[in-house]
Amino acid sequence: MNPLGEKYLRKDFLPFLFCPGCGDGMIVQSFLQAVEDLGCRENLAMTAGIGCSAWIAVYIHADVLKVLHGRAIPAAIGLKATQPSRTVVTFTGDGDCLAIGGNHLLHAARRNIDMTVVVVNNQLYAMTGGQVAPSTKVGSKTQTTPYGNVEKPLDGCKVAAAAGATLVSRWSTAHPRQLIRAFKNALTHKGFAFVEVMSQCPVQTGRYLLGSGSPQFNFQWLKDNCVAVKDTSQRDEVEAQGKIPLGDFLQVEKPEFMEEVRRMNERVKEAKAKGGER
Amino acid sequence: MKGAERIEIDRRYCKGCMLCQYVCQFDVYEQGQERSALDYLMPRPARIENCRVCGLCESHCPDMCLTVVAQMNRKEKR
Repeated sequence: MNPLGEKYLRKDFLPFLFCPGCGDGMIVQSFLQAVEDLGCRENLAMTAGIGCSAWIAVYIHADVLKVLHGRAIPAAIGLKATQPSRTVVTFTGDGDCLAIGGNHLLHAARRNIDMTVVVVNNQLYAMTGGQVAPSTKVGSKTQTTPYGNVEKPLDGCKVAAAAGATLVSRWSTAHPRQLIRAFKNALTHKGFAFVEVMSQCPVQTGRYLLGSGSPQFNFQWLKDNCVAVKDTSQRDEVEAQGKIPLGDFLQVEKPEFMEEVRRMNERVKEAKAKGGER
Repeated sequence: MKGAERIEIDRRYCKGCMLCQYVCQFDVYEQGQERSALDYLMPRPARIENCRVCGLCESHCPDMCLTVVAQMNRKEKR
């Protein structure tokens, strides 16, 4: 076992339940490297929904809350509200975050709550057998769209940015160094950080969408189809070619929700102590 | 130049995806004949002398079962 794994994983839960060649294990490793570099393990609290990607949190030896499908973000908000000093991280998948928990993502981003949401995007519902998800491309044949998908996919990064997230990044499992850097940025960022990770799923995405269940083929597909960009014009260009743009798209400072609430409480207390109007 | 003393592959957790062989730029790995505890054919670091300890295989291992141990004090040995 890797020294990082020796230090941070729950040994009694191993081996990982992920299929051979799954990208989720790489995300565990990149995330642990970021935690190791920042030394924030003591404060770490994670929530996870349902799906393969939600298992990432379970293997890490820290405080974990595993909740209903799509409800990982509300649980994280509750955690952050009661213990503002914790570093709260949510692990969700594309179906968990963008479809079932889509509304929660919008409102957590809108309020700019100090938390990190890691969305593992494998382009379909993998755990349940390869059904169409909001991130599936047009024309893809899946279990539930045998004649090709006719729905337009949803871009999680654009949704989060439009809703008011203050840090938005997208990297893939084929770019571990950049992914570690993005995790470090997100964990130290004050505000809502949204990190999307394009991940390979040889068993479902590979077989249904790409035509091969080989881990190597799926990994190479990610390398060929994910292009790192520097600015928005480049991003549109890459999207027009039908490829997936990667990069650190947005990082701004905005007032954080929990701090605003605390400030409001103090203001009200002061006003009450003076006996005046609020 | 840096070299690897040994490459440890944990046979309890390896699932034989062979991504280590795929990402390696120096052709260190090959498909072995030994099976892991999960009954997958494991990779074998057959040409360890080629290893430059870049850490690509380690960071790409989905089961975190791979450790590259770098050679210490190589100059002294020479």
